[in-house]
Amino acid sequence: MMNSMNNIIKQIDDVLTITNSEIITNRQFAIDINSGDVHQSLAYLKSIGFTQLSILTCIDLIANNEFQLIYILNNWELGLFVIVRTIIPRDNPAFVTIINIFPGAKYYEREVHEFFGVTFEGNDSYSKPLLLEIWDDIPPLRKDFDPQVYSDSKFPKRDLDKIYRSKIGGVD
Amino acid sequence: MVLENQDNRNLWEKIGDFFSANSIWMKWYCTGCGAIELPPTMTSRFDMERLGMGPMATPRQADVLLITGYLSSKTLRRVIYSYEQMQDPKYIVAFGSCTINGGIYYDSYATINQLDKYIPVDLYIAGCMPRPEGIMNAFADLITMIKKGQANGWRHYQENYEWYKQNQLDSLKEVIIHDEFHE
Ligand code: SF4
Repeated sequence: MMNSMNNIIKQIDDVLTITNSEIITNRQFAIDINSGDVHQSLAYLKSIGFTQLSILTCIDLIANNEFQLIYILNNWELGLFVIVRTIIPRDNPAFVTIINIFPGAKYYEREVHEFFGVTFEGNDSYSKPLLLEIWDDIPPLRKDFDPQVYSDSKFPKRDLDKIYRSKIGGVD
Repeated sequence: MVLENQDNRNLWEKIGDFFSANSIWMKWYCTGCGAIELPPTMTSRFDMERLGMGPMATPRQADVLLITGYLSSKTLRRVIYSYEQMQDPKYIVAFGSCTINGGIYYDSYATINQLDKYIPVDLYIAGCMPRPEGIMNAFADLITMIKKGQANGWRHYQENYEWYKQNQLDSLKEVIIHDEFHE
């Protein structure tokens, strides 16, 4: 398994411009790619057997003022997953859709837009709500969103005489 | 919320309550983790049918609405919609700490914290998640409450409709359901 994975990584490394690669488990490896190369890389990976887009998601790297987009592709023949990671700026985050390569990404892009506010040029429906209804604040999975404050302002709390807390490792 | 406790039912209402207590059709709204405790409660191990209770497919024909766990604001809209379709008299049993005070989702941006602000709850079952024994116990209590005329949540909803509606609007903005698959 390890061998075939090393071969695949080498094969990918020869064709694509990868800034970094990392082996995660014996069935999973990650590659970092510049945002400009994402589309051709995904098209190439699809052509060599990574035909399923398992998920597209996002991480808020607030300390660097960046978002990381994450595409996980699956190869059913070899049982391998590749994690394609790329960085985009956090201010006015915008990217280009991949629905021409993986049509199912339509819904993942809507989700990423809803929870992180990233726009996807070329996907007509990216701005439609998917899971939330009538949302009225900044996208909720950004690190600067405070769920406790939002919850306190929206959802009334029961008045309790006493609140019991358990102590775990000496802290409340 | 304090529910009316003194018994001022007339004879026919008493008779009606006696019969509805002995044949309860339930509709459950499987919102949270709690739904998983219902199959053992319904099937041979605990067999709730010996209390005269059975599952019902639609809210319009059901007597009890079970809310089995946390409710997101999105599902709360559907719950209100289902509850308002049910025929009187109707009862609500809420499962688990999530419906009581938010449970482990107390600080979530998506879930409500106290269900009885939005719809009248006749009976809460504490626990995360209540075991089938707890659920059976609650059903037995509910039957007693109906027989004694103490399960008056539906009347409370009618009498305090404005208050409930205001709470619903404060938290949800709109109770009407819009979604792309139905429009
Ligand atoms: S009370 Fe516990 S079991 Fe029930 S919905 Fe909440 S978290 Fe899940």
